[in-house]
Amino acid sequence: MTEQGTAGEAVRSTAKPRLFDGLKVLEFGGGAAGPLGTRYFADQGATVIRVESKQRPDFIRLLRYTPGDPAGLDGSHMFAMVNINKLGIALNMSHPKAIGLARRLVDWCDVLAENFAPKAMAKWSLDYATLSQSKPDLVMISTCLNGQTGPDRNYPGFGGQGSAISGFNHLTGWPDLEPLGPYGTITDSLSPRYVALLVASALLHRRRTGHGQYIDLSQVEGGVVCLSENLLTYTATGELLERIGNRSRHAAPHGVFRCAAKGDDDDRWIAISIQSDEQWFALRRAMGDPAWATKPDWSSTAGRLAQVDQIEAAVGEWTRTKTAEELMRKLQAAGVEAGLVNNFEDLLNDPQLRHRNHYREVTHPVIGKHLCETNGMRFSATPDAVTRPAPRLGEHTSEVFQNILGLSEAEYAELNAEGVFQ
Amino acid sequence: METSHTGNLAGVRVLDLSRESGFLTGKLLAELGADVIKVEDPEGDPARLRPPFVQGVAAPEASVLWLALNTSKRGITLDLRKPAGARAFEALCRTADVVFETAGPSEAHALRHAGFDLARLHALNPRLIVCNLSPFGQTGPYGSYRGSDLTAMALGGNMYPTGNPERAPVRCSLPVSYYHGSIEAAAGISFALWGRETSGQGQFIDVSLQEVMNVPNMTTPMQLPFTGFKGGRVGGGFRGNKAFFHELWPCKDGYVSFALRGGPARIPGIIALVEYMDENGMAPPVLKERDWKAYNHNTVTQEEVDAIEVALAAFFQGKTMEELFATACDRNLMLAPGNTAKQIHGSRQLAARSFFVDLEDAGRGVTLSYPGAFAISSLGGIGVRSPAPCLGQHNAEVYAEIGLDAEALRAQGVA
Repeated sequence: MTEQGTAGEAVRSTAKPRLFDGLKVLEFGGGAAGPLGTRYFADQGATVIRVESKQRPDFIRLLRYTPGDPAGLDGSHMFAMVNINKLGIALNMSHPKAIGLARRLVDWCDVLAENFAPKAMAKWSLDYATLSQSKPDLVMISTCLNGQTGPDRNYPGFGGQGSAISGFNHLTGWPDLEPLGPYGTITDSLSPRYVALLVASALLHRRRTGHGQYIDLSQVEGGVVCLSENLLTYTATGELLERIGNRSRHAAPHGVFRCAAKGDDDDRWIAISIQSDEQWFALRRAMGDPAWATKPDWSSTAGRLAQVDQIEAAVGEWTRTKTAEELMRKLQAAGVEAGLVNNFEDLLNDPQLRHRNHYREVTHPVIGKHLCETNGMRFSATPDAVTRPAPRLGEHTSEVFQNILGLSEAEYAELNAEGVFQ
Repeated sequence: METSHTGNLAGVRVLDLSRESGFLTGKLLAELGADVIKVEDPEGDPARLRPPFVQGVAAPEASVLWLALNTSKRGITLDLRKPAGARAFEALCRTADVVFETAGPSEAHALRHAGFDLARLHALNPRLIVCNLSPFGQTGPYGSYRGSDLTAMALGGNMYPTGNPERAPVRCSLPVSYYHGSIEAAAGISFALWGRETSGQGQFIDVSLQEVMNVPNMTTPMQLPFTGFKGGRVGGGFRGNKAFFHELWPCKDGYVSFALRGGPARIPGIIALVEYMDENGMAPPVLKERDWKAYNHNTVTQEEVDAIEVALAAFFQGKTMEELFATACDRNLMLAPGNTAKQIHGSRQLAARSFFVDLEDAGRGVTLSYPGAFAISSLGGIGVRSPAPCLGQHNAEVYAEIGLDAEALRAQGVA
């Protein structure tokens, strides 16, 4: 479609077509849960315009912000890393003239995505009920912690709360210690994948029927659906699942074992998961068939589960003198499921992730060269591509309003002088 | 409002050969309206033998894991390593839009080892979308490695920073990498369906569990060159510039999550909590006299944090999770309960949204309460359709649809 490539130069430099070339996405909101969802489309060629405001900046622009920082609101690494491939505009939504401009952007787009608290879009008359009257083929998705309806819809949550409420925390950690939030996020990183699925499915439906739709994705509900086994265990048996460290109820040994130090780093670990008797025998052989491991009872999963403490203590003694890297190679070659517990440095050097080109380098005008990452899927015919760094705050405002919405230079200047683009 | 909307993916047929790591993929596609046919060996998927079982009775039709993640699918049995089975699979592939499997390239049950590599599948049906969700991807130095959730979590980099500093890195006791990977695969399939609208061609999608587990780290590994932070574990809390902050607090009947994190979005919640504590007579001067508007977790000292946290700990100990969370919702405190399944099932918010659904399961003679739709569409059409299939439940109808006789296939040991 004609707008592709008009905002800014060299929007696409890849030779191969991408899946969403020509698709137009408008995005409101902040943080990671919303922006990572639209990135799936940006990485596959869609034009994604991110609407921000200088009055109320996206909170991840402020994560490392200190007053007087010359990088201003453009120095946030996290923002830069989650908003790759997008255009960014600044629009002061509390200015009366901003609403009309936002409506014109909605007319331009195929997909409107937002992750504010439920009341925000309605306050600006940018809710689906209003927008769909004049644009019935609009695909709109809202994602917030608790969904758009219900008594707790306005509860202000971040990823940490989502993880606790949907049940991940209770299931993570050691039985004798407090529950832990899995590091980083869970619901904030599950939701973008749901957004990608839901929006693509809605576009398919629109293509067949001409109809748009509104989708309400509750991050908590999305998390609870993943943990269906947790819920159904309770509703079908009355049992409550508890956290059990790294153990499995169905396999043993199944744990994370300390390895030899690497230089002065004594926090090196290997994960070993024995899923079958055959793998147990393979592990025994790899350990040199030590006498302690040859107990006949341990030839079956049930026998190993019954004495898992003893087995895992002994496996841990064996791993302690070997490097994690060496163990992974040796055990995998022997047919044993084993994996190095990658720390962040390992991760950036991981040969498999390199092979999949997971991390890409991009140059940001303020931050300079930095890494960004892509999602976990590779398409044989339509590879994704990183074609531009994340936008500086308001970087594409004039291009978008003049080239896409067709404002004249004078109109733009007048609105700018009135503070509409703050 | 279209009352007849049967889902965004109505008319899409998926052959679902996944094992546990990919059960959720087909469930999501089916709950968007796709016709998802679970294809099992005649002896049944190994997950059918996985405890716990409904009402505690071990039986191949009663595994909670199987039931939980295979809803809304049809199910057939098929041994595609036998000639008649391979012919039946070919016929199915000609009618299908998607083939999905989770076998790693070196695993014996991978389709390619039964002679169905990508070239053959596309010769049968060039519009076929073939998706594989494996531990590490199809190629590369770890391509042939064995893996499951534990090792994908380890190599994916989300386990090292999760846990207590004095103990081993730890995973969630349910397989989080499978959930991330399954939704990713479902998204990839829907993307390829979109691409096929213009290209007319199917393609291959290679999804890696290891790789999907990077995103939950929320960019911190990529910030290593700027921060030097390798992901060291801090237990239930977070580390600011000068102090460690607890984030998980024992209360009367469990735990709640709350932290003295600053930032404009969070400070009103801290102020509201102090007011709530004060109404209960439990806000000492160290809380009441502080200027919270100027609070910054990067500048506060450990001594100050410790004094504040003593008061918080005492307060939370005297309250239940439910009381604290109800207050959090009413007053916008950023506090959340570490819910068990029971508390989630009793949630007032989920009840108001009619999230849980009772599903009558005639084949098993039970009615159970399930998590419902993973999202709500203005058109409807998203949600649980039917209980997970019993072994071979839809053999007769599915084979009849492709002109085959299920009984004859069964007699040959193929279905």
